[in-house]
Amino acid sequence: MGQPKAGLEWHGSTLLRRVVGLVQRGVDGPVVVVRAPGQALPSLPAGVEVLDDPHEGRGPLQGIAVGLSALSDHAESAFVCSTDLPLLHPAFVRRVTRDSDTADVVLPYVDGHRQPLAACYRTSLAATATRLVEQDRLRPAFLLDGVQVVVLDEPALRADAALSAVDPGLASVCGVNTPEEYAALRARPAPAVRVSCSGVLARAGGHAPTTVRAATLGAAADLVGVVLDRHVLAAVNGDQATRDPELPLANGDSVMLVSADAGG
Amino acid sequence: MPVAEPGGCFGRALVIDVTDGSSRVLPLPERVLRECLGGVGLGTWLLSELGPPGVDPLAPEAPLAFVFSPLVGTPLTTSAKFAVVGKSPLTGLLTDALASSHFAISGKLTGHDALVLVGRAERPSVVAVRGGDVQLLDGSAEWGLSSADAEASVRERLGRGWQVASTGSAGERGVRYATLSHDGRHAGRGGLGAVLGSKQVKALAVHATTKVAPAHPQQVLTAARDLRTRSLGRATVKARELGTMANVLAYNALSTLPTRNFTEAVFEGAPALAAEELAAARGVTRSSCASCSIGCEHLYTGKGGKKVRMEYQNVSALGSLCGVSDPDAVLAASARCDELGIDTISAGGTIAWAMECAERGLLDAPWLRFGSGVALLRALDEIGSGEGLGPLLALGSRAAAAVVGGDSLTFSAQVKGLEIPGYEPRTMHAMALGLAVNARGADHNRSGAHEADLSGDLDRLRGGPAHVLGAIASEDRAAVMDSMILCSFLRGVFDEPFREWAELLSLVTGWDVDETELRATAQRIVLAKRAYNLREGWTPEDDWLPERFLTQDLTMASGRTAALTPSRLRSMISAYYEARGLDPSGRPYD
Repeated sequence: MGQPKAGLEWHGSTLLRRVVGLVQRGVDGPVVVVRAPGQALPSLPAGVEVLDDPHEGRGPLQGIAVGLSALSDHAESAFVCSTDLPLLHPAFVRRVTRDSDTADVVLPYVDGHRQPLAACYRTSLAATATRLVEQDRLRPAFLLDGVQVVVLDEPALRADAALSAVDPGLASVCGVNTPEEYAALRARPAPAVRVSCSGVLARAGGHAPTTVRAATLGAAADLVGVVLDRHVLAAVNGDQATRDPELPLANGDSVMLVSADAGG
Repeated sequence: MPVAEPGGCFGRALVIDVTDGSSRVLPLPERVLRECLGGVGLGTWLLSELGPPGVDPLAPEAPLAFVFSPLVGTPLTTSAKFAVVGKSPLTGLLTDALASSHFAISGKLTGHDALVLVGRAERPSVVAVRGGDVQLLDGSAEWGLSSADAEASVRERLGRGWQVASTGSAGERGVRYATLSHDGRHAGRGGLGAVLGSKQVKALAVHATTKVAPAHPQQVLTAARDLRTRSLGRATVKARELGTMANVLAYNALSTLPTRNFTEAVFEGAPALAAEELAAARGVTRSSCASCSIGCEHLYTGKGGKKVRMEYQNVSALGSLCGVSDPDAVLAASARCDELGIDTISAGGTIAWAMECAERGLLDAPWLRFGSGVALLRALDEIGSGEGLGPLLALGSRAAAAVVGGDSLTFSAQVKGLEIPGYEPRTMHAMALGLAVNARGADHNRSGAHEADLSGDLDRLRGGPAHVLGAIASEDRAAVMDSMILCSFLRGVFDEPFREWAELLSLVTGWDVDETELRATAQRIVLAKRAYNLREGWTPEDDWLPERFLTQDLTMASGRTAALTPSRLRSMISAYYEARGLDPSGRPYD
């Protein structure tokens, strides 16, 4: 790519900020980011812990080891992905993690390829991953040897109604490895999301939902003429109350903008 | 007409024994007023001073205090409010409820910072206070009337200039969540209407005889103009344009609209009950309390053209919580609660609990089902008449569960006996803490921790240290606002609330109070309530949530699971105790 992927622009945000936000939306526990030692990162949402690889240039398995180890006190399993999946959908994350108690690794198989960097791992594999790195066996695929792996192929993934409704092409695993791939994915229309306003915010545009193309909450609010200031909150699919303009949106999201002056 | 010394306070309360109509002046030293302010703060002090320890809330000896504040009678917007403070027949602990309008002004301008009723009249009575003159009048003509009708009757009898606070028929019957009302506004929570009714007093009438004199009248006037202008800004636009009913769709979207006795948090019938729909379909008119520039009250037209004052809490408790989506039924139920004089939150909470009991076969009432507006109205009628299930439902859900038995207590949605308002604890963890530890019980006004959950800054599904701080901050703000008193709908207009409130208080009273002192005052008021409760039998188990919230997960609209584990709640409560300077069991250190 010629530059770190983490900081690549993505509809007014960055690739890393987007992927972290999408994973946050798909899981129930904390999110950690593992970087090269001292690597400069773009801004991240509150609550995300940033950890350093112990050594430079040892590849993604080292990052997996560090991340799983950090999460082992908080969760039995963790979704692991690379930073270059801008079309990752929270529904994909939820589908993959749903089977986490059935195997050591839940491994999507899409487009004829295993997807170890969009998969779910038992956090107890941290020690194995660390040992593999120490043995210079640096490919993530080595972690799959000798452990119980459940493969989710395309039919299995598409059988999930929630996922197939919002990501029928399983674009969640589309990576950005070249400038051309980045340009092609960046040129795609932003996700289609439904935005509605409640209460006094509805006066400007009515409270019936409007479909807009927006990759972030800020963009969606802009498109319906609402400023995300301290008097406004958003509920994305009925989940967290937020006014973070960089919160990534994904295809099929439903955003309700509400008055933040709660109570009564 | 005598005018008080400058300073916004009179330095005395009038204690009236309704047994014989006698009264005595209780001096209130400046130290007490400065430490307690007024409203709920002073009311807590009065209750501690005048209430015999362990007194039955409905015994003659139990005091019932109507408490004013330094700001009442000044031109500061929303200051025409009064607190009613007593021992709750619903919780057995302290309860304080606020109401608004002209009664507050006239009550204070009798020349007292508080009027306290003790004793029990021999027959139904009305207490009339004009200055220091107290009359115990025959109240038999008003006994049995709604609070609105009783108020009108007393005013007609006494003539111009009298303001009246009254209980409805539910207060006379001892319904444990009976309200006290003035001009259609209710001191609603905790059953203070039953306390008044237990004294055989239907109403308290007050007539002004003096004026209030701020220490710095010209500066108060300037501050009042400024506050009025700010009160018309964006921070109150929701209250002005749609009222609290605007919360219905918003909270439904946030998976925090209690539904079918807290078995769900998203109600499919919410759109039919939303302010936006009702305003368009029914027409709405606005009203406001005396001395208020906001005008948050929204009156919707029910069947037959009757105007019904509707709030979010009515719709939540009588609508979604009972699974009722018929707006006519909810409007009628709300009007019925007002007529009877009962708290809509406790009424709806108790009926929703009973609906679940009936559906589970714990209660032999096949007519009582979630979703039935007819059943909702019948249940309210029975509470009012004392027939059928009425006597059981009049106890509130906790005491009723003790009668019904089985596992019904586990899904009785209350804390300390007070039914939970329209906030789902599992999707609002700061609020869950606030509901658990608040002195009044499950309460959204003395603990506005929902503000922290909906601040956009916290993960409301993962309560932790930040949620604890948010809950404490909201309690402290409420302690001051409810004691000064200013309407909580003003809270968003203050950028630095404690500093600005201290300035207002200084202008009115002449005290050199500053932000630091006011923060300490807030903490003192919160702890004084806890100390009173401790004296009256509070135990650490009272600071907890019902089992349902800690054992049953919720699926949110997003597909995520919302859960509140006992260990998370315990952790937050422990952090709250520590931050409040309490011992690990929640008691003040000696």
